[in-house]
Amino acid sequence: MQIFKIKVLIVFSLLMSQLQAQKKEYLFSQIPDSLKENADAVVRLNQIDINIVSQRSMNIKSQRVITVFNEKGLSAIDAFENYDKKISIKNIEARILDVFGNEIKKIKRKDFKDVSAISGSTLFSDARYIYLDYTPTQYPFTVVFDSEIESSNTAFIPSWYPFKNYFVGTELSVLTVNVSGNLGFKKKEINFNGFNIEKNTDTSTQLKYTAKFILAQKQEPYCAPTMVFPRLLMSLDSFNLEGKDGNAKSWKEFGKWYYDEILDGTVQLTPETEAKIKNLVGTETDVIKKAKIVYDYVQKKSRYVSVQVGIGGWKPMLAADVDRLGYGDCKALTNYTRALLELVGVPSYNTILYGDSYKRNIQSDFVSIQGNHMILAIPYKNDYVWLECTSQDDPFGYQGKFTDDRTVLIIKPTGGEIVHTKIYEDKGNLQKSKGTYLLDEKGSLSGNISIVSEGSQYSNKARLEHVHPDEKEAHYKEYWSNINNLKLGKIVFTNDKDKVTFLEDVSINAANYANISGNKLLFSINVYNQQGNAIKRIRNRKYPFEIQRGYLDTDEINIVLPKGYEIEFLPDNFDLKTKFGEYKTEIVKTEDGSLIYKRFLLVNKGVYTNMEYDEYRLFIEQISRNDNAKIILTKT
Amino acid sequence: MKLFRLKVILVAFLMVTSMKAQEFKTGRISVLELQEKKHPIDTSAPAAILYKKGRTFFTYDIKKGFVMNHEFTYRIKIYKKGGLSWANFEVPYYIGYENLSDEMLSFSDAVTYNLENGDVIKTKLNSEGVFKTKINDDWKMAKLSMPNVKAGSVIEFSYLLKSENLVRFPVCDFQYTIPVNYAEYKTEIPEYYIYKTILKGYVDVKSDSKVNQGSVSFANEYGQTRLMTYKQISSSYIAKDVPALKEEEFVDNIRNYQCSLHNELERTRFPEQPVKDYSVTWEGVAKTIFENKNFGNQLAEINYLVNDVKLLLKSEDSKDERLKKIFKFVQEKMNWNQEYGYYADKGVVKAYEERTGNAAEINFILISMLRLAGVEANPVLISTINHGIPVFPGRTVFNYVVAMVDIDGKLILLDATHKYTTQNILPLNALNWTGRLIKADGTSQEVNLLPSVPSVVNCNVMAKIDASGKITGDLRSRKTNYEAYSYREKFAQTNTDNYVERIENSYNGVEISNYEVKNKNEDLLEPVDESFTFQSVNHTEIIGKEFFINPMLFFTMNKNPFLQENRKMPVYFGYPTQKKYMINLEIPEGFEVESIPNGINLSAGDGALTFKCFLVKNDNRIQIAVQTEFKKTMVSAEDYSMLKDFYQKIVDKEKEKIVLKKI
Repeated sequence: MQIFKIKVLIVFSLLMSQLQAQKKEYLFSQIPDSLKENADAVVRLNQIDINIVSQRSMNIKSQRVITVFNEKGLSAIDAFENYDKKISIKNIEARILDVFGNEIKKIKRKDFKDVSAISGSTLFSDARYIYLDYTPTQYPFTVVFDSEIESSNTAFIPSWYPFKNYFVGTELSVLTVNVSGNLGFKKKEINFNGFNIEKNTDTSTQLKYTAKFILAQKQEPYCAPTMVFPRLLMSLDSFNLEGKDGNAKSWKEFGKWYYDEILDGTVQLTPETEAKIKNLVGTETDVIKKAKIVYDYVQKKSRYVSVQVGIGGWKPMLAADVDRLGYGDCKALTNYTRALLELVGVPSYNTILYGDSYKRNIQSDFVSIQGNHMILAIPYKNDYVWLECTSQDDPFGYQGKFTDDRTVLIIKPTGGEIVHTKIYEDKGNLQKSKGTYLLDEKGSLSGNISIVSEGSQYSNKARLEHVHPDEKEAHYKEYWSNINNLKLGKIVFTNDKDKVTFLEDVSINAANYANISGNKLLFSINVYNQQGNAIKRIRNRKYPFEIQRGYLDTDEINIVLPKGYEIEFLPDNFDLKTKFGEYKTEIVKTEDGSLIYKRFLLVNKGVYTNMEYDEYRLFIEQISRNDNAKIILTKT
Repeated sequence: MKLFRLKVILVAFLMVTSMKAQEFKTGRISVLELQEKKHPIDTSAPAAILYKKGRTFFTYDIKKGFVMNHEFTYRIKIYKKGGLSWANFEVPYYIGYENLSDEMLSFSDAVTYNLENGDVIKTKLNSEGVFKTKINDDWKMAKLSMPNVKAGSVIEFSYLLKSENLVRFPVCDFQYTIPVNYAEYKTEIPEYYIYKTILKGYVDVKSDSKVNQGSVSFANEYGQTRLMTYKQISSSYIAKDVPALKEEEFVDNIRNYQCSLHNELERTRFPEQPVKDYSVTWEGVAKTIFENKNFGNQLAEINYLVNDVKLLLKSEDSKDERLKKIFKFVQEKMNWNQEYGYYADKGVVKAYEERTGNAAEINFILISMLRLAGVEANPVLISTINHGIPVFPGRTVFNYVVAMVDIDGKLILLDATHKYTTQNILPLNALNWTGRLIKADGTSQEVNLLPSVPSVVNCNVMAKIDASGKITGDLRSRKTNYEAYSYREKFAQTNTDNYVERIENSYNGVEISNYEVKNKNEDLLEPVDESFTFQSVNHTEIIGKEFFINPMLFFTMNKNPFLQENRKMPVYFGYPTQKKYMINLEIPEGFEVESIPNGINLSAGDGALTFKCFLVKNDNRIQIAVQTEFKKTMVSAEDYSMLKDFYQKIVDKEKEKIVLKKI
């Protein structure tokens, strides 16, 4: 009767597994329709439980449940964890559910992919990450992702984002924080208004937030997620960074700790280097002139190489190593420059900030580790001169578009201080064009132009000096893409790094620039500077928009018309003033029969409401249309 | 098709005049090299490889047998700051072998040279400038960052890569994105191994081979040193003044044109052992692949499919219907895990059960099901475009596999890994020259992968201009073959509102309503049909009393896509196309036509490219018919200026205006 027994067992176990399979969770049909609208995926649950056990230990458990509707929704799964020497992954696993909530696959840690986190210009880093590499077999499906990490870096409590992705709806997002002991836990809510986020608990040791029912967001131009998406910053007064304890209630204390614990002892240089740099500076006594000599020396000697070892990328390489090797990352090169300046009696301060062409501030009312970049500040006449030490080309004190106009933290030996970097005024971001062109009887064009760029427009152009001739050609063919059949002649650049101006002298020609229709020549009068970028129409814009940097373009172009033609039609002068800026064009007939075309375009920086977007689009459209205004000439 | 100048160097038979190798001694840097301010030929070069010297030789180990050693030395001059990135160098090496030891890589003799006050200053690299990182389970990366490098520096370093994998050498490049003044590569190969050598690219590489005596010393099992001698084939490859390789637009794969040397094992012939064939002819390659258990056996395995095939088909189904049903079934059931390869990885049975697999597993399942249904189906080995063009036999030139069906002599290519492919529509990445069809008996033949039927866009517009210049109208369009496929790949999952918003913006601000699409993702064999109603105030230019209108409205090609003046690589189009536009414009009352552009009939490249444009005025209507046809998939670099001119003429024509005048 053995066989019979086995059969019974099989039947029994089949029943069991069927019973287990009855457990259904996160059914697709349970998602409210409104959450599916515009969504490629819906986050059913995003539960993050942060447990700060001590100043040196933190445990974070996460459960993320995402129902993915299609391929585009895959990026919302976000099933990965970073790790390195200080962060260990205690648990990581995932389950896949089908549309009816039945489990169809279980993925264990060993089936996750484990890879290095090195990318781009980073030469070395010990950071790695483990991620879920799952090929969906059906849509929609649901991922239940569980993970638990442990970290001693309590200086970095990850920010909480109630939702993160565009085109993803959120059903429920929960954060809980438990803090053991009196570590001075603090938080800051950003952009919470207008979203369904509830604060359930808020004591000195416990915190709970619940965000419910957030509809899928559509991406809108001129609006970065950091500007409108809610997030919660968290931090401790008493923290640990890569094995070093710290305590800071104010920026002053934070800066002092950073200076004493992290920067201390990193600036020693050899006597040879000291002699060399002193010799270079000689008898110079002016602070700025001395600094210029040192900056020039660093620019010629070093290159940017990112090496992320040691304190989570927070402690700079020793200045002596940078001196010997001739390379380093932003912290290393900044600190090295500071060390050299110190040798010649010029005080300077490492400065922590967010380096990005999209301006982003250090949250000055929230003392915590922030930023992703470092530059150097030299105090000068109640202000600062800022040095970008990773660039081999930037003019002394120039901030371009990577570090300008933002709140930063400078680290002084006496402590930290919040200041604001240089603001380039709209009118100072100038492009001044002056040139001529001549049209022949066949409608072909030849001309030349000088373009001077200043302020933030300087950084757009200065890079041209070093690019390959092919790329240079491609740049002009793009910039003057309105000129059919463009051929470039001589191109000469003058880069005045003292005044921070960049001059382009360019000559061009273009066969058949003007359209011929019967006995008429038809062409756009504005050859050299057309407003190209049409602004996308957005139906029912939801978010405000921002013009981060204003600018001013002026053009004065002399136009010589072909012989044997007379003017049939000349565009009217145009004048437009709005809150977004001013635009003016004017055509003047001169005595010798040529024309002078003048154009003035000032765009104001600013944050504008969603309601104003269409107005802005119209402003740009009118400019674009008028820039394309045509002259008609008829044969006499 | 003279697109590729590839050379086979049959090593054993080549006995060319011996070339004198230029004398470069490691560590002997001249002051002249350091003083040089710019490259003498390519003055814009940010850096240059002054020389690259490589040598591949064999050593012997009593346990492991022959081991390959690849030794390379580089001397690089940095001219400009933009060239500083050349002071960082990386070499990947393989650690994913099942039966062989990991490869080993070591850098040596890494020195930076600078000129300071007329003196040559040396800075040696020590271990702090070398980094090794595990990329994934199969690959490690060794990186080097040279010290004290600035504009003007010369750097020099060597590395040695040891590998037990004798099947192929690492590719030896003679061309880089910076100029190479002198490159030399030597190989010393014991007579037991015969390699096939392939040289790619446009560069003149001088080669020379001779047979001489070779030897290795090794420790025997008792630790005694023994010497083994044999004949060896010593070859050298030398290239001088190799120009920098520059990226260009519309290129299939830049690696196809980069000068490089490839070696793959063809045969082994050990004393008193039969000759073992690895890869000689395409036939041989196909046979070796077919005989591998992850290929042939996987195709032989069919039991797991029998039931599903029975359920799926009716006995009265024609072969065409069977093909349709089975392809749809596999395409819907199976999900590609983005892995290429022509061998099954976890096996077809497991793949079928899990509903995911690599290219081989999915298309093997397709083939097996078709065979079960009595439809002749066979695998076709492919090298994808990313992988490069296979021109010389070798197993490593393939990286993908699709299926080919023969129904009464009608040949149909199929790939079930993608969701929008269909009969004779493969993913664009697979349209690479030719593939190798392997039959059930292991024999093989070449198969052309390039589409010969044009993909058509057919567009009809009925429009009306009113007295204010506003244009309103209806549009119907049809896309076939690859045009339909590309549309589906991009938009089949985009919702209508977003798609409409997108075309509104790309058509220069028209407003669209009543958008409808047929066969967006239903019947993939049928064309995609779209229709909508539009209105626009942006397509009439009002100047004085006249209206100026582009006859092609929002389809006007405003810019020549070919901007660069000179071309080095062929221009790649992917598939032949035919685009037809029929536009019917009604002019407003109170206006008359002052002028319409003349028609034109252009043809270039022996009729491979044609452009026709005709305009007719009929009472208050203007009829516009425009057709552009591309019969080729590639245009050679020599014909580039012809192509650019052709496009310029199209642009010039399309920009000519219809002029309407108020009466």
